[in-house]
Amino acid sequence: MSDVELSVTAKNRGYMGLPPSQWLWRAVLPIALLVILFSFAAVDRGVLSAANLLNIAQQTSYLALFAMAQTVVILTRGFDLALGPTVSMVSVGTALAMAGATAAGQDTTVVLLAGLGTGFGLGIACGLFNGVVIAILGVSPFVATLGSYNIAIGVATTLSSGRPVQGVPNLYSQIFYGGSVFGVPAAIVITVMIGVGLQLMLARTVFGRSLYITGTNPRAAAVAGLPVKLNLVMTYVLCSTLAALGAIMMTARTGSGEPNLGGSLSLQAIAGAVVGGTSLAGGRGGVGTAVLGALFVTILSNGMNLTRIDGYVQMVVLGSIVIVGVLLDRLRQERG
Amino acid sequence: MSTALTASLPHPAIGLGRSIVGRIGFLPALLVVLVAGMSAIDSQFYGVINILNILRNASFLAIVACGQALVIIAGGFDLSVGAVVALASVVTAKAMATASATFPGNNAVIIASGVAAGLGCGLAVGLVNGFCVAKLKVSGFVVTLGTMSATAGVGLMITSGIPVYGMPEIFVKGFGRAQIFGLPTAVYVALAVVLVMVFAQRRTLFGRYAYAIGGNVDAAVVSGVSIQRHIVGTYVVSSVLAALTGILLTAQVGSGQASFGGDRMMLQSIAAAVIGGVSLRGGVGRVEIVTVSALFLTILGNALNLLHIDSRLQPVFLGVIMVAAVALDELSQRRKSRV
Amino acid sequence: MDINIDPTRAAPLLELRGISKRFTGVLALDRVDLDVRAGELHVLFGENGAGKSTLINVIAGTFPPDEGTYRFGGEEIRHLTPQHARVIGISPVFQEFSLVPSLTVEENLFLGREISSKGVLRARAMRKRAQALIDELGFDLDPSKRVDDLSRAHQQMTEIAKALLGRVRLLILDEPTASLTERETGRLFELIARLKEQNIGLIYVSHRMREIRALADRVTVLRDGRHIRTLDAATSTDSELVELMTGRKIDLLFPTIPHHAGKVLVDVENLTLADGSVRDVNFHARAGEITGIAGLVGCGKSELIRAIYGLEAIANGVVRIDGAPYEFPGPRRSLKRGVAYFPANRIAEGLALSRPIRENASMTVLDLPAFARFGVLRHGAERTTIAAIMEKLQLRPLNIERAAGALSGGNRQKVMLGRALTRDLTVFLFDEPSVGIDVGAKLEVYEFMKRLVEAGAAVIVVSSELPEVLALSNRLYVMHNGFIATELTGAEKTEQNVLASFFKNHLTADVA
Repeated sequence: MSDVELSVTAKNRGYMGLPPSQWLWRAVLPIALLVILFSFAAVDRGVLSAANLLNIAQQTSYLALFAMAQTVVILTRGFDLALGPTVSMVSVGTALAMAGATAAGQDTTVVLLAGLGTGFGLGIACGLFNGVVIAILGVSPFVATLGSYNIAIGVATTLSSGRPVQGVPNLYSQIFYGGSVFGVPAAIVITVMIGVGLQLMLARTVFGRSLYITGTNPRAAAVAGLPVKLNLVMTYVLCSTLAALGAIMMTARTGSGEPNLGGSLSLQAIAGAVVGGTSLAGGRGGVGTAVLGALFVTILSNGMNLTRIDGYVQMVVLGSIVIVGVLLDRLRQERG
Repeated sequence: MSTALTASLPHPAIGLGRSIVGRIGFLPALLVVLVAGMSAIDSQFYGVINILNILRNASFLAIVACGQALVIIAGGFDLSVGAVVALASVVTAKAMATASATFPGNNAVIIASGVAAGLGCGLAVGLVNGFCVAKLKVSGFVVTLGTMSATAGVGLMITSGIPVYGMPEIFVKGFGRAQIFGLPTAVYVALAVVLVMVFAQRRTLFGRYAYAIGGNVDAAVVSGVSIQRHIVGTYVVSSVLAALTGILLTAQVGSGQASFGGDRMMLQSIAAAVIGGVSLRGGVGRVEIVTVSALFLTILGNALNLLHIDSRLQPVFLGVIMVAAVALDELSQRRKSRV
Repeated sequence: MDINIDPTRAAPLLELRGISKRFTGVLALDRVDLDVRAGELHVLFGENGAGKSTLINVIAGTFPPDEGTYRFGGEEIRHLTPQHARVIGISPVFQEFSLVPSLTVEENLFLGREISSKGVLRARAMRKRAQALIDELGFDLDPSKRVDDLSRAHQQMTEIAKALLGRVRLLILDEPTASLTERETGRLFELIARLKEQNIGLIYVSHRMREIRALADRVTVLRDGRHIRTLDAATSTDSELVELMTGRKIDLLFPTIPHHAGKVLVDVENLTLADGSVRDVNFHARAGEITGIAGLVGCGKSELIRAIYGLEAIANGVVRIDGAPYEFPGPRRSLKRGVAYFPANRIAEGLALSRPIRENASMTVLDLPAFARFGVLRHGAERTTIAAIMEKLQLRPLNIERAAGALSGGNRQKVMLGRALTRDLTVFLFDEPSVGIDVGAKLEVYEFMKRLVEAGAAVIVVSSELPEVLALSNRLYVMHNGFIATELTGAEKTEQNVLASFFKNHLTADVA
C-alpha cells in the first residue's frame, strides 16, 4: 500500500481509535448547546423554566424522530427527500381511515387499528418503493426519493382534497399526544423508546453492523457476502416507518389529517442529523448524533422564539447553523 | 524485462460510465413522442398561447438548470437556487422601487440599479457557497442546505411575504412581457445563456477545469489546477443565473415575490440536470442535453395540465415518469462492474 | 550511508538532504537523503510503506517536506507546487490519481497547462502537439478517446505521454510496466535509453528484480521511511538488495509447498461469461494442491475465479463444488459452501477502511451462530476469536480496534486472510495475492497458503507475476483471450512453455 494512499486516507477518514484530545472535540457540540441555552436564558429567564424545558424536550422529540429516520438511510450513503410528503400522506391517510371507520360505526379499538394500520401501511409502502427503486433498479437516492416526493405529495393532496381531514378520535390524541407516563408527555416517551431500540439495533445487531459497513464500502460488503440489496430496502422501509410514526404523533397533536404536515421536514431532518455529526458520506452517525442535532436546532428555535427574534431572521440563523455544525464536525474529524 | 505478462488485446470496454450516449438517444425520442402524442390528443397543445407559455417556462427552468448542471459537473450541489430566485426577485423590485423614489422618471437608472442589485445578490450567495465549499471544505449539499434556508429567510424578511410593486412600465411591458419576432424575451435570454454555457463548457479553460475537478479532483490537484478558484466560480455562475431567472420572472409578473422559485424550482433544476445526463458523481454532462431535458419537463407539466389531470395528481405522474426515465436508463446501462 | 561517487559526473541534478515527512501518527520519511544525476536511472527500492511514494510526491511537489533541503539543478527549492515542479522540468508518472476518466486523452495530456488565449482553448493547436508527441513516442493511442474507454495499458501510456509533454529534466516512473504489454514495455525501455542520452535524470520505482537489472545505474534502498543504502547496480546482488530492503536474510523467496492432490473440489465445464471475458473454459482444482492460473492482464483469469465465487454473470456452463452443481453463484452462497475469494483490489472490494480491524475480519461470518444469534451480535465472542486469529497471523501491533485504514498493505492482507480462519472453508480463490505487498509480507502470505494446502484445502492462485505463479503452483493453467491456452504440470511447468503457449493460440494478430 503506497504511502500516498495512507496519507489520503488519513486526510479523508475519521479514525476509530480515539486519542484523548478527540474526546475534547466530541464535546464541542454539547458544550455549544449549553452555551446557547444559557445565552438565551440571560436574555429571558423563562428559557430555563421547567415548563419551557419540557416544551423543548417535547419539540425535540418530533424532530429527533425524523432525524433518526434520516440517519438510518444516511448511514448507507443515501437520504430520503420524500420524508416530508410521506408524513403528510400518512397523516391524511390515518385520519381518513379513522374517520371512515367511525362513520361505519366501528368501536374505538377498531377505529384506532384502522388508523394505525393505514398509517404504517402507507409508510411501509413508501419505504418499499424507495428501497426497491434504489437498491434493485439502481437509481440514485436523490432521483428516487424526488420521485416519491412528488408521488406522496400528489397522493396526500388528492386524498384530502387539499383540506384538513377531520374525524380524529379523542382517544387517539390522548395516546399519542395528550397522555403522559409518570408525568412525561407521550411524545417524549415514544421517542425515547424508539431511540433506545434503534441504538440497540445499530450497535448490537447484524443488520446494524451491515449498515455501517455498507455505508463505508458497499462493494466490499457485497464481496464479503452481506445482503446489501436486501439491507438497503429494509433501511428505507425503516426510515419511512419511523416517519409514519412521527406523522401519527403529529396528527394526534393537530387533531386532524393535514395534507401539508410534512412541509420542509425532509431537509430539516437531514439538517438536524448532519449538524449532530452524521456524515453524508456514509458510515458515521447514530441515534446520539440525531438527537444531539435535533436538540441543538430545537433549543435554538425555542430560544429565538422566546426572545422574539423575527421568524425570518430565524430562518437565516438556522441556515447558518447547519454550515457551522458541519464545519465543527469536519474539524473534529481532522483532529482525530 | 518485465516479468509480468500483459494482454496483447485491449480489455473489454469499461461499461458503466457512458450514460451520456444512452441518454442522448433516449431523451429526444421521448420528447418527440410526448409532443406528437399531445398534438394528436389535444389541439390546444399546439395553439400559439400554449406554445409561448411552454417556451417561456422552459426558458426559466433552463437557465437555472444550466447553472445547476455546471455545479454538479464540478462535483458539487446547489440547493439554494430556488431561494436565490426569490431573493433576487424581491431585491430587484425593492431596489427599483427605491430608485424610483430617488430618481423619478429616470428609467434607465432605475432599471439598471434593480438589475444590478438582483444580480449582486446572486453574486453574494454564490461567493458564500463557493467559499464554504472550497475553503472550509464542507460538502456542497450541506452548505447550500444552509444558505437555502438563510437566503429564503432574508427574502421573507425584506418583504414580510408581501409582493413588491413599483417597477417602471417599460421594464414590465417593454421587456418582461414583450415579444420579439413572436417569441417572449425570456426565450432569447435563455438561448443566449445556453449558447454561452455550451461555449464555456467545451471551449474554455474554466469549463474544462469544471469537468476535471468533478471527474477526478486528485488528478486536477496533481496537474496544478487551482481547485478553489474554480469551485467558487461554478457556485457563482449558478447563483447569478438563478438571480437572472428571478429578475426575468419579476419582469414578467410585474412584481417581486418571495414565493418565486422555491423548493419546487430547485428540485426541478436538479431533476432536469439528472435526466439530462449529468452524473451526480461529477465530471459528466452536457448543457445542451440539460436544456432539452428542461424543455421535456416543462412540456410534461403542461401536458398533464391540458389533459385535465387533477393538479393534485400531477406530481404523482411527474414523480413516476422521472423515476421511470432514470431507471430505464440505468437498466440499459447495466454492464459488468469493474474493480 | 554508503554512496558511490563517480568523480567523472557533474553535481547531482536532484539533491535531497534530511527530508522528513509526517502524517497524522505516521512518520513516512525520516531524514532521507537522495541524489540523482542527470542521465542516470536511479531505482528506488523498498517494501510498501517504506516511503517510496511519499518521497516521489515530495519531489513532485504534491506536498512539502516537514524538514530537509531540496536542491534541483543546483538551486534550492522551497514551497514547491505540482505546477511549478512541472515548469522546472520534474515530471512524475503516478500509478493512479492523475487522469480524469471523463476527459479525452488529449484533454488529459494538457490538463493544467492547456494552450489557450484569454481563457479560450486552442483545440487545434493542442491536437497537433498531442499527435506529434504520441507519434514520437510510438504509442498506439487515439487522442480523441475518453480515458475511461481505454484499457489499463493505454491509460498507462497516456500517463507516460502526459509526463513527457513539455521540457523534462527529471522523469519519475512509479511501477510503469505494471499494465504494459511486452511490446510497449520494450518501447518504454527504448524511450528510457533515449532519455538517458539526452541527459535526463530518471527515478524508477519498482520491486521487479529483472527490470532493475536491465535498467538501473544505482539503487537506493528505503526501509521504514529511512534511507538504508545507495548501491551501484552493477556490483550488487539480488539477495543483497532484498536483505537491505527487508532488514533480514531471506534465503528463499518462495517456500517449498508439499502438494498432495486429492479429490476434485472445484470443477468448471464449458464456462462462458456474459461479457465474453471467459470463453468455453474447462478447469478443475483439487484438494491439497495449489492450482495456478497465469496469463496476460485481461486474459480472463481473474474473471474466471470471480465467476466461480459469484461476482461475474455466467452465460453458459456448469460450476461444481465438491461434486455438487453450483447454480447461480453469489458471495453469500459461496461462503456457505466453503468457497472464499480474496480480491485483488483490497481497498475497493476488500476492506471498509474506517471500520475497525475486528469488523473487517468478521464481515464474512456474521451469518454464523458463533458470531451472532438471531441477528444479535456476540461482541465478546467476536473480540476473542478475532484477536486470537490476528495473533496467529502475527498482526503487529495487535490492536484489533484500530481502523483498517491505518494498516500497511501487508497487514491489510492479513486482515483479509483472517477471514479464512473464521469459518470452515475448503476452497480458497486468491486474486493477485501479492499486489501492493512488501517482500516480507509476501512470504507470510505464501506460508499461509502452504498451511492451507497442508490442511487439505484447494488453493487457486491467479497472478500476473510469472515467477510467483510458477513457484507456487502444482498445476498451472495459462489463459489467453478468455480461453485456456494450456495446462502444465511437473517438468513442463517452465517460463518458456508459458510464453510459448501464447503464440500457439494466437487467433488474431498482435493488435497492440
